[in-house]
Amino acid sequence: MAGVKVPRNFRLLEELEEGQKGVGDGTVSWGLEDDEDMTLTRWRGMIIGPPRTIYENRMYSLKVECGPRYPEAPPFVRFVTKINLNGVHNSNGVVDTRAVSALAKWQNSYSIRVVLQELRRLMMCKENMKLPQPPEGQIYTN
Amino acid sequence: MEDNGGEDPVNNNNNTTVSSEGSIIKVTVKTPKDKEEIAISEDASVTQFKEEISRRFKAKQDQLVLIFAGKILKDGDSLNQHGIKDGLTVHLVIKTAHKAGDGASSSTSCTSQVGSSSGSSSGPSSAAHSSSVGSTGGPVSAPPQTPNILTGFGDLSSLSSMGMGSANFMELQQQMQSQLMSNPEMLSQIMENPLVQNMMSNPDLMRQMIVANPQMQQLMERNPEISHMLNNPELMRQTMELARNPAMMQEMMRNQDRALSNLESIPGGYNALRRMYTDIQEPMFSAARDQFGNNPFSALGGNSDGGVQPSRTENREPLPNPWGPPSSTDPSEGGGGTGTTGSSTAGSTNPSVSNPLAVNSASLGNGMFSSPGMQSLMQQISENPQLMQNMLSAPYMRSMMQSLAQNPDMASQNPASSPSTGTNPAQQLMMQQMLQMFAGGNASSQTPEVQFQQQLEQLGAMGFINREANLQALIATGGDVNAAIERLLGSQPS
Repeated sequence: MAGVKVPRNFRLLEELEEGQKGVGDGTVSWGLEDDEDMTLTRWRGMIIGPPRTIYENRMYSLKVECGPRYPEAPPFVRFVTKINLNGVHNSNGVVDTRAVSALAKWQNSYSIRVVLQELRRLMMCKENMKLPQPPEGQIYTN
Repeated sequence: MEDNGGEDPVNNNNNTTVSSEGSIIKVTVKTPKDKEEIAISEDASVTQFKEEISRRFKAKQDQLVLIFAGKILKDGDSLNQHGIKDGLTVHLVIKTAHKAGDGASSSTSCTSQVGSSSGSSSGPSSAAHSSSVGSTGGPVSAPPQTPNILTGFGDLSSLSSMGMGSANFMELQQQMQSQLMSNPEMLSQIMENPLVQNMMSNPDLMRQMIVANPQMQQLMERNPEISHMLNNPELMRQTMELARNPAMMQEMMRNQDRALSNLESIPGGYNALRRMYTDIQEPMFSAARDQFGNNPFSALGGNSDGGVQPSRTENREPLPNPWGPPSSTDPSEGGGGTGTTGSSTAGSTNPSVSNPLAVNSASLGNGMFSSPGMQSLMQQISENPQLMQNMLSAPYMRSMMQSLAQNPDMASQNPASSPSTGTNPAQQLMMQQMLQMFAGGNASSQTPEVQFQQQLEQLGAMGFINREANLQALIATGGDVNAAIERLLGSQPS
């Protein structure tokens, strides 16, 4: 089946289903922002802060936007919950594509789940796991 | 978007149960550790859902955080609102003081894990007791020195507390070492450990550790050049830089090998090399192969002649473990002109200054046996049960024996090369002393002649009239008459 290009909507529906069924280890969650969104573009993600890091016990909300060229093109990801993490813009929570390897080296077999899990892994890295964080519950306004 | 194979969860109502108002749906509630199926009315509110969950999970309602499809379910919402239907999964996080419901992912691919756990273990002071650090986490000092480098690697601190000061300790060390060798990733992880790096960047500390090794002390007495080297901070720093960076080390070794082969071609260079080898390398060689651990400076180029500068630097080739499995170092390019060990020819690498233990990655186990000294050692220990016990305290010995057994050619070649051993009394003396150390640490102060008086007589009675050769053979085999006989027979054309 290598090389078969799965149409965008099929892919996204599949991901939607996976999100609702809780595929994965339960540390990230994702789903449509708006259930009526027929274009399946705007998604919401949630990352549970990994233990033994400063992000522990916190839930980070994200917005994921899958453009028309998804899955050939990577999605746009931005944090809604304020976070101090390398690769995330301090002012608006936008995730820098170059900082996240899943985005920088995007493959069409990747998915929203992969991106969320990678972000979570980044939280566990030495350079990130101790960064001081803003108070819980704050969100980016722009 | 209409039905898609009947599984369109967005808009469609797939009621498997009685289709009436407030039908019960089964929702899976998943924590990172747990999974429960909860039956709830599909019209229920999130609050009601949480009530049910708190009962099932034995947690307080306000500790519960529910996530569905990337959104947090607020108490005021209803399940319907979020599209939660039968058979779907909701994620649960229980906010406890000690993280009960949190992402229990242990899949930390970062070295942070190693770093954080080793930070909590005993610091460098304990490592100061260990003598050889250059071998990244490799086997360390004699068993009496209990805290060792393993305690510096937090994850393994539990190892270091087991079987300390006994044969088991060695076993563990060797196991770890072999693991390290076979897993370069782990090696680099350990190297990247800030603790290790700190240790290595402190030349004083390194020197202390190295000097603490009694073997090294002996060596230093015999060869003042070594102490000179140790006291040269620049050199130490460079060496440690090397040790820290395995890639650089390989590069360095390649350069060394090349330099050595060049040196060999200089008229008179061969002799210089040879001298260098016998004076310095042999003692290091045997010291390195000592039971009590590896000496990091297993090869020294104390080159007094020829002016080749790279050979001056210590070779901190990781883990020159003669007993161990193949290391990832590159094979010497045949450049080491140190034929004095008389290494057998086929398929083995001549020990060179930079590759002292003839680490030929192609045929590692065999390379080890290429030295006739080794061979006699093997024979010796098979006779002497105490020695045997010491040696076999590590399981890897067995595998080595096996490889030797599988390669009878190698074994037969060794006696043939004994003449060269015979020409090097210094080496034999080293071997002999080493063997004695194995057997219980008494260095012999008698001359070999006196010591082997009895054996010499035996040999004479059997018809070996060449006393000189007998003596040589006995020295080489450490007093083992049978082995000596074989030696003598092997060297004579029959």
